[in-house]
Amino acid sequence: MPVPDLFAEGLGRGWKTYNGSRLEQDLTLEADVAIVGTGAGGGTTAEILSAAGYKVLLIEEGPLKTSSDFKMQEAEAYPSLYQEGIGRMSKDGAITIMQGRAVGGTTLVNWTSSFRTPEPTLEHWAKEHNVKGHSVAEMAPWFEKMEQRLGVAPWIMPPNANNDVIRVGCDKLGYHWKVIPRNVRGCWNLGYCGMGCPTNAKQSMLVTTIPATLEKGGELLYLARADKLLIEGDKVTGIHCQAMDERCVTPTGRTITVKAKHYILAGGGINTPAILLRSKAPDPHQRAGKRTFIHLVNFSAAQFEQVVNPFYGAPQSIYSDHFQWDDGTTGRMSFKLEVPPMQPALTATLLGRFGIDNAMRMEQLPHTNAMLALLRDGFHPDSAEGTVELRSDGSPVLDYQMTDYTWDGIRRSFHTMAEIQFAAGAKSVLPLHTDAEYVKTLAEAKSQLDGLSLEIYRTRLGSAHVMGGCAMGEDPTQAVTDSLGRHHQLRNLSIHDGSLFPTSIGANPQLSVYGLTAQLATQLADRLKSA
Amino acid sequence: MNDSVVAAPGLSRRGLLKVGLMGSAFLATAGLAATLSGCSASTPANGFAILRDADLPFLKALIPVMLAGAVKPEQMPQAIDGTLQNLDYSLNRLSPEMLKLTVQLFDVLAMAVTRGPLTGIWGSWENASSEDITHFLNRWQNSSLSLLRMGHASLLQLVMMAWYGRPESWAHCGYPGPPRV
Repeated sequence: MPVPDLFAEGLGRGWKTYNGSRLEQDLTLEADVAIVGTGAGGGTTAEILSAAGYKVLLIEEGPLKTSSDFKMQEAEAYPSLYQEGIGRMSKDGAITIMQGRAVGGTTLVNWTSSFRTPEPTLEHWAKEHNVKGHSVAEMAPWFEKMEQRLGVAPWIMPPNANNDVIRVGCDKLGYHWKVIPRNVRGCWNLGYCGMGCPTNAKQSMLVTTIPATLEKGGELLYLARADKLLIEGDKVTGIHCQAMDERCVTPTGRTITVKAKHYILAGGGINTPAILLRSKAPDPHQRAGKRTFIHLVNFSAAQFEQVVNPFYGAPQSIYSDHFQWDDGTTGRMSFKLEVPPMQPALTATLLGRFGIDNAMRMEQLPHTNAMLALLRDGFHPDSAEGTVELRSDGSPVLDYQMTDYTWDGIRRSFHTMAEIQFAAGAKSVLPLHTDAEYVKTLAEAKSQLDGLSLEIYRTRLGSAHVMGGCAMGEDPTQAVTDSLGRHHQLRNLSIHDGSLFPTSIGANPQLSVYGLTAQLATQLADRLKSA
Repeated sequence: MNDSVVAAPGLSRRGLLKVGLMGSAFLATAGLAATLSGCSASTPANGFAILRDADLPFLKALIPVMLAGAVKPEQMPQAIDGTLQNLDYSLNRLSPEMLKLTVQLFDVLAMAVTRGPLTGIWGSWENASSEDITHFLNRWQNSSLSLLRMGHASLLQLVMMAWYGRPESWAHCGYPGPPRV
């Protein structure tokens, strides 16, 4: 039975949308509130403000793709649904950065893991970053509200064999493990969350908050890049947008001018600070783009006797936080352990090498598990951190410089992942590093790891979580916005996305963005009434 | 493109060292040199949106080395064509800045003036053996120039992703393909 395409049906009922690539002339659009970005922050904010009676306009750089477009083909999905046609990398090319770019933002392509912001992280922000009003108790109702809205619940089906490696290995070693809460309703357990959910089970912004906004008379402009804020004194007076071609590569030459009473940036880490930088928004302490964090990821592969088929089944269902807080909040670099889904194109680039070496690794794909460590960056002064810069064409790039402190976290997490994989019954383990080989015992793995030269390009590094760069906090010399997400210098501009986080989260960040922006948008709706 | 110009058999060690130090400058100016020499036309080759005629010889030499072991020799010609098609599709959707970097990398490999000193392949790509190409890739992987190490990583990722995005690659890696919905 074919899956109904909810979004296409809504469009048929008259939802108001504008396709930038099809514009034949320049356009001016007006709204009460203009929101740049349609991901977790933009979608959540749009639903709440439109329910409060405001006319909302959502602006999205990427294309509008809906369930009937999602064919579960890597070759098609990645160039279409990810930033820079999946070419986004750190400035030195050492770290692949996977961020969504389509209506729904990263929520369209994430792997559905939904964690509340950990308590130590919220406490650290209050204590070290002068953040007010986001304590554990103050945030709890917002997380609960969004968990209900998006169907967040611990995954009810058994984990796939790829995830089960964490459960079995951690059980044997006495390490913590737990089932991951996912934002799905009626999930078919297919495993293709990263290419757009073909069954509309994932409760991304595409099937939840954006339809709700459009039902209330909100409007959606897509394939339109928010180029610059127009600024007069301490106010934003408009947004200048460039219409993009249907590949989302080249501006068509048409422009869209957006006029609103209030403006909200929700383009996520990297893109939100970039708009401020391009607009030369007042920034007396040069904070925009600073302290950008990415949950740097390294990987360990393992081969098993039994079939793993790591390309099928819910991509992430088991995690371990055994090492997440083991040296306190601000101690040595710590990490969360999860697994990635392993469809062949992405896997071939992860497993490394070429010719017969890569071919033999790929041949074993059905028997292969991969584990990943999400490094909790930004809590220690020696942690690696990123800075957003503009290239000559105004597009942003993240300069992320590694440090010895961060490499130490990578080496320890390699050791831990090998330990868990062998405990789960792996017959061989391969840290994803150019010079490494599959080895058959933990002792061999440990001695191989101690001998590896950990350096960029040789170590396979990635990120799927960009956070920070427009930190919130009460001190304008340190933060871009106050704790309510209000820009410290521009009075009708707010930021509602993961760029507000003063550090990384220490967990997959989508629910942190939902909860925080639900709170900020509700408070904003009240303020706009009295304005 | 005239290959005989740079087929300098007796380039001294000192000369090579100089080339190494100058490597970054070579890369930085490759785009300009390409324009001046006129051997790197910006028009796409027949059947492609991005890939140019000048890119095809080195890609056709590289791809079979990278896919050796994953593709049977008799199927290699079709695998090369398929990989080129997927590569072109992806490049056509890269951001302009990332495409620019990739085109610069391709220029360095395509133009004899940079290819010889930086890859060690002094003759044409068509005549390079798989050992020559493996040697070049290992040399870049271990180069003291970060731009070459980055170039090595990019080449591997571009080619591997292009090939394994294609259904005919999946039998080798035991992937039955996506389920029916």
